[in-house]
Amino acid sequence: MASLSEEVLLVLKKVRQRKQDGTLYLMAERIAWGPEGKDRFTVSHLYSDIRCQKISPDGKAKIQLQLVLHTGESSTFHFSNDSSALTDREAAKDLLQQLLPKFKKKANKELEEKNRMLQEDPVLFQLYKDLVVSQVISAEEFWANRMSTTNTENTLSDKKQDVGISAAFLADIRPQTDGCNGLRYNLTPDIIESIFRTYPAVQQKYGENVPHNLTEKEFWTRFFQSHYFHRDRISTGALDIFSECAKQDEKGNVTHLELYRYIRSGVLNVLTAEGLPKEKKIGGKPASTSNPNRTGKENSNSAIIKRFNHHSAMILAAGSRRGDAPNDQASETSSTDGNSRDSDLFQPPIKKVKLQEAIDYLDLQREDGPKTVALNLKKSDRYAHGPVPLESQKYTTSQDIINSITCIRHEMANYVPNLAQVLTSSAVSSAIAALSPGGVLMQTGTQQAINQMVPSEVQGELKHLYIAAGELLRHFWTCFPVNSPFLEEKVVKMRSNLERFQMTKLRPFQEKVQRQYLSANITGHLEEMLQTAYNKLHAWQTRRMMRKI
Amino acid sequence: MATCFYFLGKKIFYFENNEPEILLHRLYCHTHFTNAVKCCIVLHCIRYRKWIFNVIESDVQKGKASATALANMKLNIEGLLVYFPYDYIYPEQYSYMLELKRTLDAKGHGVLEMPSGTGKTISLLSLILAYQKAYPLEITKLIYCSRTVPEIEKVVEELRKLIEFHCKETGEANNFLALALSSRKNLCIHPEVSALRIGKEVDGKCHSLTASYIRAQRLSDPSLPSCRFYEGFDAIGRQVPLPPGVYNLDDLKEFGQKKGWCPYFLARQAILHANIVVYSYHYLLDPKIADLVSKELTKKAVVVFDEAHNIDNVCIDSMSVNITRRTLDRCTSNVETLQTTIQRIKETDAAKLKEEYRRLVEGLKEANVARVTDVYLGNPVLPAEVLQEAVPGSIRTAEHFVGFLKRFLEYLKSRLRVHHVVQESAPQFLKDIFQKVCIDRKPLRFCAERLRSLLRTLEISDLTDFSAITLISNFATLVSTYSQGFTIIIEPFEDRTPSIANPVLHFSCMDPSIAIKPVFERFQSVIITSGTLSPLDIYPKILDFRPVTVASFTMTLARTCLCPLIVGRGNDQVALSSKFETREDFAVIRNYGNLLLEMSGVVPDGIVAFFTSYMYMENIVASWYEQGILENIQRNKLIFIETPDAAETSMALEKYQEACENGRGAILLSVARGKVSEGIDFVHHFGRAVIMFGVPYVYTQSRILKARLEYLRDQFQIRENDFLTFDAMRHAAQCVGRVIRGKTDYGLMIFADKRYARADKRGKLPRWIQEHISDGSLNLTVDETVQMSKHFLRQMAQPFRQEDQLGLSLLTIEQLESEEMLKKISQMAHQA
Repeated sequence: MASLSEEVLLVLKKVRQRKQDGTLYLMAERIAWGPEGKDRFTVSHLYSDIRCQKISPDGKAKIQLQLVLHTGESSTFHFSNDSSALTDREAAKDLLQQLLPKFKKKANKELEEKNRMLQEDPVLFQLYKDLVVSQVISAEEFWANRMSTTNTENTLSDKKQDVGISAAFLADIRPQTDGCNGLRYNLTPDIIESIFRTYPAVQQKYGENVPHNLTEKEFWTRFFQSHYFHRDRISTGALDIFSECAKQDEKGNVTHLELYRYIRSGVLNVLTAEGLPKEKKIGGKPASTSNPNRTGKENSNSAIIKRFNHHSAMILAAGSRRGDAPNDQASETSSTDGNSRDSDLFQPPIKKVKLQEAIDYLDLQREDGPKTVALNLKKSDRYAHGPVPLESQKYTTSQDIINSITCIRHEMANYVPNLAQVLTSSAVSSAIAALSPGGVLMQTGTQQAINQMVPSEVQGELKHLYIAAGELLRHFWTCFPVNSPFLEEKVVKMRSNLERFQMTKLRPFQEKVQRQYLSANITGHLEEMLQTAYNKLHAWQTRRMMRKI
Repeated sequence: MATCFYFLGKKIFYFENNEPEILLHRLYCHTHFTNAVKCCIVLHCIRYRKWIFNVIESDVQKGKASATALANMKLNIEGLLVYFPYDYIYPEQYSYMLELKRTLDAKGHGVLEMPSGTGKTISLLSLILAYQKAYPLEITKLIYCSRTVPEIEKVVEELRKLIEFHCKETGEANNFLALALSSRKNLCIHPEVSALRIGKEVDGKCHSLTASYIRAQRLSDPSLPSCRFYEGFDAIGRQVPLPPGVYNLDDLKEFGQKKGWCPYFLARQAILHANIVVYSYHYLLDPKIADLVSKELTKKAVVVFDEAHNIDNVCIDSMSVNITRRTLDRCTSNVETLQTTIQRIKETDAAKLKEEYRRLVEGLKEANVARVTDVYLGNPVLPAEVLQEAVPGSIRTAEHFVGFLKRFLEYLKSRLRVHHVVQESAPQFLKDIFQKVCIDRKPLRFCAERLRSLLRTLEISDLTDFSAITLISNFATLVSTYSQGFTIIIEPFEDRTPSIANPVLHFSCMDPSIAIKPVFERFQSVIITSGTLSPLDIYPKILDFRPVTVASFTMTLARTCLCPLIVGRGNDQVALSSKFETREDFAVIRNYGNLLLEMSGVVPDGIVAFFTSYMYMENIVASWYEQGILENIQRNKLIFIETPDAAETSMALEKYQEACENGRGAILLSVARGKVSEGIDFVHHFGRAVIMFGVPYVYTQSRILKARLEYLRDQFQIRENDFLTFDAMRHAAQCVGRVIRGKTDYGLMIFADKRYARADKRGKLPRWIQEHISDGSLNLTVDETVQMSKHFLRQMAQPFRQEDQLGLSLLTIEQLESEEMLKKISQMAHQA
């Protein structure tokens, strides 16, 4: 069964699984393992099924790689090649690291999309059950037609929506002690992305140093050792590559602050405004001044505070940075125009608006705009469950009713019967008789309405059959005119599909119906439709044969 | 001549004033009459005077026309017609106006408390404006003092709205002049000067361009720089009064730019004849500034101090002097400059000095005349006795005065050399100075005035350089004038750093009434108002005045939109308190952290937390960080922290608002008595909860504070503890009041200290907060608090419409005029 036509990306020998030696294959779309000396895979996972991979920590005797599947199962591979176990494992890990995300996104997105469609559309879901689950047509065939339409819809919203950054992402990196005076940090790609997005300086450093100066691991080790991560540490070693980051941040901060000192706008002005009572006086000592001999403890405390402000600001900025850069820039420049250069004459309209907002008491003013009717729910659960069919009525205001009444009255008053074109009463009654069930003109049709003949579950089943048949026939008829080899192939396939449908679905139903209601031929129309399709195909085939001959 | 109205033979109306407008207003506003009765009255009137009929007719038509457009608020406040520029009114606004009107009628002072967000400013303005219109001879001016520039601008905008409404309603053109005044920094339009941006520098630069002698010099030497705006103002602007209208700071600048006149001096001049002036406290309270700006303001004015809960501290600050060694060093150099200048002038222009001498012999008659005729606002630095006497001979000549100053400086330097803390009263100080360097009390008293005269004579261009010597001379005058109410404390080092010598001489005012006394004496009515003035009786005591009205109004609410909770215990039953003994207690800090953590998970959008001091906050933040509490909080919200740096704080504040705005939610940690706790409102989602960690007592170990407490006890019979609690509670109320900015707003107020539950603390909170503290919420645990908050927030999240408020906390004019409602309102007011 090993279809070796697949591209094999990596082959690793001497990998044990369940205490059995074997070989691990990493292929384009799946990872597989086969025991030694046998020509088949006992383990084979599509990449898209794999949720994540885990590796054993360094220094452990066993060098292992574990794959966790979406289903929750996992399989563990033990690399047992004495000389190259570690490098083998690393190679496998790195390759997987590259491959997994690709498949993950693709698989997930498609699955999600399909799932969503099925959930949103019950008819489609039923169809899916009828056709795919009962194996009339394959899932790909079913979706092939659908996805193309959805894909075009989706291109618009294809831009990936950014996930915000959790404020506590640094806190999520919980160091764990490994028992021998060491700390272990677990980093996920998400966390790394968060760090990069929040601190572009670190990303820059990463780009500069990894992989030529440092390995990835060393980089992160240093990151965690640096004071950059530990906000309360102050001294920095010369070796610390992050001290530069910190400086850079500091610089950015300072320029921001400088800018701020000049911006005097709106509410913030309060802080620097004249006439703020100097509260400290009464307390004697100013609360905190730049005292030269503040203790180290105090210094580190204020460092923490600064860092928190900075960190929060960076996270906020990371959220908006991704948005749309050009737009952002524009708004920024406009805001600086408005704020910082207002020194003399240019009174920012923003300020006016802010002032107006500040003095308005909305609830003291009458609300303007059209009067809306408040929704007054006496029983809110009824609202939640939708209108009950019996009571569903078209909502009309009393004004509407009055209008229509006057309208009708008006019409009635002006009504003049057109007596010249009226049928005689006998002709009318005969026409009605002819058109009633059992009449002359209604002979061919079912004599009784279907809802009087069969119980509701049969009706429902019939409905599903109609829908399924309709879908299949739609596929069938879209093949005409047949003008490409692909369509030729498809039309033949559809025919077999239709036949299969007739065999597996329609027949049992017919038999069931016949068992119960011998006379009722309610599937006649369905069969007729199928027959028409067969005829058409037959006609087409004979014509083609003729032409070939 | 009096006018009477008779209805069915009964005298129902009686007026002494015969002005048709006033008559009509009173008639119109009188609520006892239905419209039918009014018509009858009108008919009766026709028999007596024809003109009344005409006026009424036009008025009725006008009223009809506008009534169809909008049912406008024309209120009748005890017979005064007040135009209120909104469609609805809060009941407390009505009561507020009523009290205000009574205060004005009695020509006395008043203390009025009304919660923020209930439209205090607009009620105040509409009533006083109406009063001014109705009795133009009794009140000619409104002086509205506020704290900060944004607040001043806000007031002016409200005023603009009101006056526009007024004009629209009455159909008259506006003849009122209302303007804002601020420092040169905010008004200068000179491109170079205004670019300096720092208050002192702008002032100094401006002075160097516009001082009179400099301009005189320019006549001979045209190359000297000048300010074309000031020149323009001086040439034309002085004669042309500012046209009526409402001028905000920006409008003034625009006007100045258009005309080429200096907006600052224009405004300075215009306040003399303006009907309404809006400016900062300091223009009235700080004697140095008040003397320049507000001296000539009319006596028949109403002065309003808005947000006045800190007014005593402003007064004290304006009268206190701190002298460090640096000040003295700068003084020495100042004196040297003076000396050389005197020398130079003596060689070139001795006549000038002689002229000055002559003037001084004649004494300060001018000022005296002005004060006697009651044109000027009294200046506490310029005591009355000084005005009647000539400058004493010993300091009359310039050289003598400089020598005198030198001696005084040397004495101060020697005093600063002490190694232990000294505290003494003013008489002790005077005695000591007489013994040591033979300086008498009398010349000391003239010091400030003499220096001013000298600086004028010497034509010193840049006065900012001489701020140090001015300070010293002010100190000299004050110390020799007031034997009471001041104390002198010399501290050789700061308490925290005993090893570093940093001697400071605090000349500290302990009696806020000294600075504010001239204001109370000069102006007809002074209104002190704020959202938090409780307990009301303490302000008249410490400011030493007798108010005619003292009232506190609560917020009438259609739904209980504030939820004060007192958290006394942690989940582990540890008592929560920021008192000194448990301050470092780990359990308390941890429980405080838990409280914040839990709340951050429950409260949507913004949370503001206040600590008692900056040091305390730093320590708590550090230990929260170590305990990992902050990390957990970060999972819920972003954290921003106030710092001592104003710019950094405003940046944090803006980011905080941004985070609230974009839905992420944030927590702002800040300090009571800090910058955030005073001027910044957290409207709606910017603050859904305030947590007050601890009781914000002042730093009680300070000597200045101790001296002040002692003084309060001796002079006003206010016990130390009462004052400290009062001070702590007013700051707590300020902090906590930041969340509720109106009736549609809602917020939690969490007092995290068990001491708040005590009656003496709770009783000092404003009434509008106090009445919502139930007995059940006096000693909650953290968990209980979270539960109650959840419940409260869920309730508040329900839609709230205007209809819900109408008739309860929001009234239409018809509702207001109904007998029943009036009774209800007066009942509520009487509870106060």
